[in-house]
Amino acid sequence: MSGHVKNMYPQLSISQAASTLLSLLLVAAIDSMNAGIACRNQQCESHIQRSFKLTRLIHMESVDLLKIYKASQGDLSELFCQMPNNIVPDPNISGLDPSERMLSIYSHCKAFLPHLKRVTEQQRDLQPPSSPLLNNLTTAQYRTSGLANQINCIYQTLFPNLPIPLEPVDGPTSIHPSQNVFQQKVYGCVVLKNFKELLSQIRHELRTIKNQMCKSRTFAYTNALF
Amino acid sequence: MSCLLPLICCALMIVSFVLTLVICFQITMKTTTYGLFRLCKIHHAFPSSIDLMHGFSLGSITTYGTIIPQSPSVEIGKEFTATCVLYTAAKATAEDIYWKLKNVTVPKEQYTKINDSAVSVTITITNETANWLLCEKKGSPLNRNQVIHGILLTKGYPPEKPVNLSCMAVQSGQKISSNVTCTWQPGTRDEILKTTYTLFGSLIVSNKSSKAHRSSGYIDFGTFPSFMQLAMWVEVENKLGKVRSDILDIYAADLVKTNPPSDVNILSENNFSRTLLVSWKHPIHVTYVTLKYNIRFCTVGSGDWTEVPPNDTESYKESFRLQYLKPDTEYVVQVRCIHHMGYGYWSDWSANSTARTPEDKPTSKPDLWRVIIPSQVKSERRVQVMCKDPVESNGRIQGYSIKIQDGNWETVAVNDSDLDSRSQERKIIPLYQIPWSDKRRGLIELKAWNSVGESPQASLVIPKLTQEPPSVEWLSWFTQQGRLWVKWQPPNVTATGEPYRSEVTEYILEWVSVSDGAMDWQRERRHTRTAAIKGNLQKFNRYNISVYPMYSGWTGKPLTIAAFLEQGAPLEGPSVKVRRTGKNDAELEWMEIPLDKQRGFITNYTIFFITGGKEHSIVVSTDTYSYTVKRMASNSKYVVRVMASTVQGSTNSSDLSFNTLMYAPGQIEAIVVAVCISFLFSVVLTMLFCIYKMDSIKKKIWPPVPDPSNSTIAKWSPDFTSKADIPKESALGDVSIVEVDVFDRKSLCEEDKAGLPLKKDKYLSEEHSSGIGGSSCLSSPHQSVSDSDEGGDEGQTTASTVQYSSVVASCGYKGQTPCPLPQSGSSQTPSFTRSESTQPLLDSEEHPEGPESQRYLRNPYFGRLPGGNNGDSGDLEDLNQMEMKKQGLALRRFCPLEEDFQQTTPTEEGQSPDGQPGPDPSYMPQLSGYRPQC
Repeated sequence: MSGHVKNMYPQLSISQAASTLLSLLLVAAIDSMNAGIACRNQQCESHIQRSFKLTRLIHMESVDLLKIYKASQGDLSELFCQMPNNIVPDPNISGLDPSERMLSIYSHCKAFLPHLKRVTEQQRDLQPPSSPLLNNLTTAQYRTSGLANQINCIYQTLFPNLPIPLEPVDGPTSIHPSQNVFQQKVYGCVVLKNFKELLSQIRHELRTIKNQMCKSRTFAYTNALF
Repeated sequence: MSCLLPLICCALMIVSFVLTLVICFQITMKTTTYGLFRLCKIHHAFPSSIDLMHGFSLGSITTYGTIIPQSPSVEIGKEFTATCVLYTAAKATAEDIYWKLKNVTVPKEQYTKINDSAVSVTITITNETANWLLCEKKGSPLNRNQVIHGILLTKGYPPEKPVNLSCMAVQSGQKISSNVTCTWQPGTRDEILKTTYTLFGSLIVSNKSSKAHRSSGYIDFGTFPSFMQLAMWVEVENKLGKVRSDILDIYAADLVKTNPPSDVNILSENNFSRTLLVSWKHPIHVTYVTLKYNIRFCTVGSGDWTEVPPNDTESYKESFRLQYLKPDTEYVVQVRCIHHMGYGYWSDWSANSTARTPEDKPTSKPDLWRVIIPSQVKSERRVQVMCKDPVESNGRIQGYSIKIQDGNWETVAVNDSDLDSRSQERKIIPLYQIPWSDKRRGLIELKAWNSVGESPQASLVIPKLTQEPPSVEWLSWFTQQGRLWVKWQPPNVTATGEPYRSEVTEYILEWVSVSDGAMDWQRERRHTRTAAIKGNLQKFNRYNISVYPMYSGWTGKPLTIAAFLEQGAPLEGPSVKVRRTGKNDAELEWMEIPLDKQRGFITNYTIFFITGGKEHSIVVSTDTYSYTVKRMASNSKYVVRVMASTVQGSTNSSDLSFNTLMYAPGQIEAIVVAVCISFLFSVVLTMLFCIYKMDSIKKKIWPPVPDPSNSTIAKWSPDFTSKADIPKESALGDVSIVEVDVFDRKSLCEEDKAGLPLKKDKYLSEEHSSGIGGSSCLSSPHQSVSDSDEGGDEGQTTASTVQYSSVVASCGYKGQTPCPLPQSGSSQTPSFTRSESTQPLLDSEEHPEGPESQRYLRNPYFGRLPGGNNGDSGDLEDLNQMEMKKQGLALRRFCPLEEDFQQTTPTEEGQSPDGQPGPDPSYMPQLSGYRPQC
């Protein structure tokens, strides 16, 4: 078993240590870049339109991802998905006004990223390397990260005077340190189910926000998309 | 011993020292790399402390200084500065240093003295600058200059900025590929230095880079960043620097090129003959890319595409109905797609999809036309009615309905296959051929029909021969861009009382291939003056092009012209033959090249004739088919060929050889005639001369003989018969008088030959009769033939002749003692005794048939000429003379009187030429029978 229970051996070579350090620095750099992301000066409708399309794409892929996940888990796959799991963040978007709901979207995206990463690591131990599930999970992370950045930009564009909190609005989500295979499969399925639900809600929210925030703009050419 | 010990000790020390050195050297060689490295490092770290004292020795090479920088890369066009630092071992100062670029000394002006042991130089790098920069010190007058140090200059340019960066991500499966491929335009300069290209891609979430080629590269993002903004750029780097292209800040959709739409189908619907329904499937899910489409179509085989207006297909749809198509036409349809906002790239066109529109009834008239064929019958023509399918047949034409003047509609079915009827080329369909009187005017009407319905009606009026509307004024042709064009001037028509309208409504261009008779036509509008022939004309083929003005269906008179789409050299030369050859000329004749082999208009013929290695040529006009070449050498061999020329080339006939004559025709005949005339003239002259000199010639040939008729004896009366008888008996043995006529000498002999058997008895019975007319062999006919059938009358007349003289010979009597031949020197001389008898002698009056007898006798004379050639007068004379000589010889044998008859020599009767006694030639009896005497 590996992944969440991976042992860190002290006899790591210097090169491994260097690469690890480099990776950490790169992650830090990306994080810092994300924190201070340079959003291009785009119009409201354009931002939301792209984010909406991206959400739609991720949602479609999440549906497929869940199907692939269930198919690749073997027996009792439906049972795995029916098990309750409290450690997965709630997919519901909260907030009263658009800014809060935008922040909630952003926070949820950011919150789901470590869970997706965790599931990917777990499934990498459980699935063969050529399994499409791994690729789709990686893609989900990739796109979700991009969606979070776009939501961030939209928020900065629409609410330039409101700061984005460093921590998620709903608070940090704890990840269980160790799980057995059964727990991993249950966890993975719950994460993907909630992730799909989250995306569905984001689509709905973005459509609403677009109508509210970009109402005065002309969206004739985008109406066909919604 | 005391002296040797120190010496031995010294020797041992020296040996041990040498051994130590050898061992140290071997150890040094084994540790050479590290040791040298350390030495170098030490040397560079403390150059002054070592070099100032000793310099630096590496093996056998001693370094006296160095150049800073070492082996630099220098930019062409820029200045470069290097500094030479001297070590103490160099034993030189800055003033002794000078720089060289390979073998060329750098001018002192470019030097800069830094201190006593360092001098810098600044040079401008060009393409021609040598690669080696050397620092040298001046040598003494006895020594050469010494190189202190050198560096290799690596010349080049800094990298150029790539431009026109563009990237693309194609569809892979049901998604967009994560590989983003980019292309750019690198710099135009040669990359002298090693240059690396790196492609960068930046997303908000990650940065990617990969090594690239000079003008292309790709980055694998792992997942295509759909709906994200990304930045792409290229960095180019070499030793002289690094440069980055402009950043391509691009929306991910701008990179996308999807597959073409899949499953493109075309649906043909009945009762919708002008529409087709096109359907397809999206190549990629809408969540990835929302697409818009583009449709184009064309008829099969045309390649002339028509695009559906983009606005009609910009929505995200999977079907479209094509409209305004042609019925019964097969169409090819293709579809492509692109991001609905126009981002990215159009996909490739889909594969061809074909479908045929349903049929519709013909919507245009059939193309009705006729050809007038001259008839054998006077005042009558034959009209071949023909047509082409309507341009808008809208389906397969199954037949035609035709009506001529007031007749009924008749149906002509067409049994062409679908392939023929649907081909692009409209086929000519012959309908009717009918006799048509020159005085008849008629209307032909025609309709075409297919499975759906009938076409509009076409009509054509064939006017009377005398009422044909006028033709166009003039007609010309030219070629342009591979097509044959016709130009004409419209007819000058004035309103008259003619039955047709005076306005030209259209023109018909008709062309007929001369080679195979194939014809076709096309219609042109009334205002057209120049038109290109639309048919498939063949190069080098002669066409007769006619322009018919049409007057509301009335066919005007045509104006015809011959034309070529493209001319070439004749396919073959003319067929040449020599019709006549003369002494100094020859007449050549050739046939016109068949029209289908002329391949152009013959501009002229050139006659080449070669003799003795020299070639001559004569150019004649195109309407010349025979030519007489003059001034030729007689009796010479000539090779002749005729070259036919067009504007595009010439072709020779085959060579033809002949010889000129030695003599002109008639020349030989003229010579022969002249010779003959000359000969004849000479003969005539000779004859005239002979006639004129006949007397003298006669006298020379035949001396005058006394005419016995004038003798007095002729007046002698035959009263003394007894007296005569007596001497007859006595005198015959002694005297023989022969009268010889010049013409009768021979004949007499001949006569004797023929008459001898008959005369034998006569001779015997009258052997005693003697006389001038009967005793001689020449005169014997007068007597000998007295009893014969031929000249019995003469014999009878001569029977009364009397001997008037006797020749008394000394030889034997009656030939019994033959006389020897009268020869010169003969001892015997005949004596002549003149008769005193008065008995009348031969009297011409007593021989009324004398002349005939003479003629009769002469002829055998001439007929017996040797060789029988009695036609040649000259020979005749010669032969006559010869004969006369022979005769004379014979006469001399048998008729001594012949030669000396004037002397009346005694006759040598009965003596053979050999002197033997022979038969009596005349009057002597022959005991042994008759023998020829002549």
